This record gives sequence, C-alpha cells and structure tokens, in this order.
Amino acid sequence: MAVLGFALAALGAWTALKLGPSGEAHFSATSKATGAIVVEPGVLNSLDVPVRIRATRRDGGAVWLATAPAADAGAVLARSAVSTVSGVHYPAGTLDLRVSGAGALHDPSTADIWRISAKGAGSAELLVDQGRGPETAVVTSGDATALTNVTVTLTWAQRPWFFEALAAAVIGAIIAAFALIDVSNSLRRARWTHAVRTRRSRVRT
Amino acid sequence: MTRVVRAIALTIVTIVGATSVAGCGAARAVLGVHEAPKANPALASLTVDQAERILTRDFTAAQQGETTTGTAAQKALITAYTGEGLRAAKARVRLAAIQPSAADSPLLAPQKPLLLAVPRGFGYPRVMVAQTVAAAGSLPVLHLLTSPDAATPYRIAASAMMLPSSSVKPFDALRQGSPLVTDGKGLAVSDTALLKAYAETMAFPARPVTAPPFAADAFSSQVRARAAAVAKSVATQAKFSQAHKVVPNSVYAVRQADGGALVFGVIVRTDSFAVKSGQAINTVANKAFVLLSGKRKVTKSASITTLEFVVFSVPRATGRATLVAASEQVVAGSGS
Repeated sequence: MAVLGFALAALGAWTALKLGPSGEAHFSATSKATGAIVVEPGVLNSLDVPVRIRATRRDGGAVWLATAPAADAGAVLARSAVSTVSGVHYPAGTLDLRVSGAGALHDPSTADIWRISAKGAGSAELLVDQGRGPETAVVTSGDATALTNVTVTLTWAQRPWFFEALAAAVIGAIIAAFALIDVSNSLRRARWTHAVRTRRSRVRT
Repeated sequence: MTRVVRAIALTIVTIVGATSVAGCGAARAVLGVHEAPKANPALASLTVDQAERILTRDFTAAQQGETTTGTAAQKALITAYTGEGLRAAKARVRLAAIQPSAADSPLLAPQKPLLLAVPRGFGYPRVMVAQTVAAAGSLPVLHLLTSPDAATPYRIAASAMMLPSSSVKPFDALRQGSPLVTDGKGLAVSDTALLKAYAETMAFPARPVTAPPFAADAFSSQVRARAAAVAKSVATQAKFSQAHKVVPNSVYAVRQADGGALVFGVIVRTDSFAVKSGQAINTVANKAFVLLSGKRKVTKSASITTLEFVVFSVPRATGRATLVAASEQVVAGSGS
C-alpha cells in the first residue's frame, strides 16, 4: 500500500511538473516525407479545449496552415501526398505520422473552405477552437511548392490537468502516510503482543 | 484508530484500484478525450466571418475589374465573377464607352455588402445570397454567389436590381444556414418550371400561356413592349423575333424561413432580325450592336444576345411566384 501511495505521489508530482501551472501538454513530430501535413479530426477534435498547432520549416520557407470541415479538406487534398497525424503519445510527447497518397497538392489556400488560417516565414501558428468539428488541419507551403522536413507541434492547455495531477500526488502521499502509520502501529502491536506472551510464559514457568 | 485508518486506506485503494482496472479508458474520461464529433448537416458550412471575408474579396475584385483596365482588371473579374455573371461583367466593361460608366454600375456597391444567406450542410454546389446598395436612395441589388466544389472559391454568378416596392423575405439564421431546394418540393412551383414558363411568356411574337405560375411584373411587360416597338420600327426592312431560353444550370432556389424560396435564374434573350430581300439596315444608331458585332450595316440577318438575370420569391405550397429583382445586359451581337 505504501509503495502504491509513493508511486501515485511520484506520478502525480512528475505529471504536475511536466504540465506546469498552465497545464500544457505538448506533442510533436517531424515529417521527412514530401507533401502536406494533416491533423485528423480524431486528434484535432478529441478534446473540448482549444488546440494550438505550430508548424516549423527547417529551411525557413513559407508555411501556411488552416482548418476546414473534414469532408471539404479531404476533397481538396484528394489523393495528394500527405503525412497524417493519426495519434498522440503521452508522456512521450510524440505524434504518429502516417504517410499516404502521391502527387503534388495544388495550392489549397485559394479555396473558401478554410475557417481559420495562418501563414508565416519559417513557422506559423494557429489556435483551433472547438465546436465546429469534425475539422481537419492542413499544413502546406501556401502554394504549389512541396513541403518537407516540417515539425508539427500540438499543444493542449487545460489548467485543471495541473491541479488533478497535484491532487493525485497529494492523495498518493496521504495513502503512503496512512500505510506507513498502519505498518508502524502493526509493528508496535506485534512487539507488545510478543512481550506480553513472553511475560506470561515466564510467570507460568 | 487502526480500524479507521484501515477503512480510509481501503476506500482510497479501492478508488485507485478501480481507476487502474479501467486503465486508459478512465484516464481518457478524466482528461475529457472523446471521439471526433459527427458532421452536423443542420448547420451552416460557412461561419459569418468566412462569408463576410468572401463577400469583401469578391466585391472588391468586382469593383477593381470593372473600373480599371489591363491584365489585372481581367484577373480581378475572374476572381469576382463566374458563369453568366462573368459574361455579363465582361460585356459591361467592353461596352463601358457607350453605356453608363462602369464605376456608376448599380451592380457595384461601395458600401459593405449585406449578407442575407449562407449555405447549409456540406453538399455542393453551395450558394450565398447578398445584397448591396450602390448609393443612398438607389434600389438594392441582390447577388448570388456560388461554389461548385470544395476547391473552387465562391464567385458572383448572378446580380439583379430589386424592383420598386419589392422585398425579400428573411432566411434562416446565418448560423444555421439556408438549404438549397434542389427538387422543388414544398414550393408552389418548382424553380426550373417557373423559369421555363417565365421565359416562354416573354417570347415575341407572343405565345399564349395559360395560368402562369407567376404574377404579372413590370420587367416582362417592358421587355415585351420593347420587342413590339422594335418589330414595328423595322417592319418594312426586317422580320423581328425574340426568343428567351433559360441558361442550363443557372437556376438556384434558396429556402427561406417561412418555407418559401428565393429563386435566381438566368435567361438568355436572342433578338433576331431576318432582313428582307433587297433591304440593308443601317445599325449605326445601335452603338452596342456595332461595338459587339463590328457591323454598321446588315443585309441578311442580325442577332443580339442579352442576359436577363431574374429573382423570384416563390411561396410555400400554394400561390404564385413574384418577381422581386431583374437586370439585363447585352453580351453579344452578330450580323451579316
């Protein structure tokens, strides 16, 4: 029990430290494949909190990222070469990337399907709010130029996560404390019982 | 004391144990992780912000395209217009020298366009309805913007000036969007049947149409009166006829809040002159025809093509449609 308590306390404390007071969880991956990067609704809309997407190009070129209804984004991407973010891993902080399709993507930025978008040189960032899902986020160069060697980072920020982790640490510590007290009492009682028995046996003899 | 401590510890261990048994599922629940929501077809496929950005882009390009010249102007026209709307805009620019200045065009609005309807659901084509007012006191212009697929931006497909004393019934809330009526169901008359009947009614020589599904209006009366006047003026030299035909895929019906629909359509009008044997008609007086056809005199035949943009208010279930907006633009001419 004490071990369990210590484990919970350690895990809670470690998680609280990792999330920080703002409760931010970061996940990132670098796509070496050529083509757009896509964040599926299964990831993008998996939580009811906004997700911040940041895309960074090593070569400092133009980055354009936007979100659209999943069906519309799928129609525009068609069978173009894309790397799809299909899963996240915690606490590793990594993203699963699945490469699919072939062929160049025509400039998608001219379509009117994009609800929100951002562009920049070298990197771009977008805060995607929830409530319009299912949506897909797409990262491209903003024109027909192929994109490669891009790092995508997804960040969810939920302050209660920090306090929940903190609570787990405290509960773990309490369990450990109670368990230690219990063990201590048991040992004392055992010693007392042993002493009484020893005295009685001496009196009988 | 020991019993109490044990009871508390046991309770906590039970909770922690149960959470552990539930494993990742419980963790997901604690974090609030869930499946991606399903698409809601009862909501607008565009946000109001998106729609307003599109309107601003298209009307800015329209203004630029119709008030400037050169490659940039052509590109701006293509950005702003599509289909028959583009054909009419190009003709307006071409005829700007002999028609009122394009800068004064009632189809261009310096004021912010008013968004009336955005598309509902995720099917294609999608349409938006907007209204502009060129200047204080002038009649408003209704615009239909269309997007045929996800990759193609919205562009102005039709614009028509509202008739005096006409009004447009409200659409559903912009957040909900307004669905397209694709089969005419629930309307007093289907959109395609209405436009076809309206086009037939305006033919010259006139053909009798019994029980038209629309109320009489000033626009068609003027068109018929003009046709009769032209026929009379050229009677000694040529035989005049006028045909009206609905442009395929130009009819869109957008459902309104009361169950009726606002129907946009484009009709192509062809004025045909069959010149009588031995006659020669001097066309110099018709500057638009000269500019479009390059002919100052015709001895065999001539034709003038005009696009008619019409907008009807169609009631739900019963009643007759009412024309609420109409505009026309000469787009082509030929002669021999």
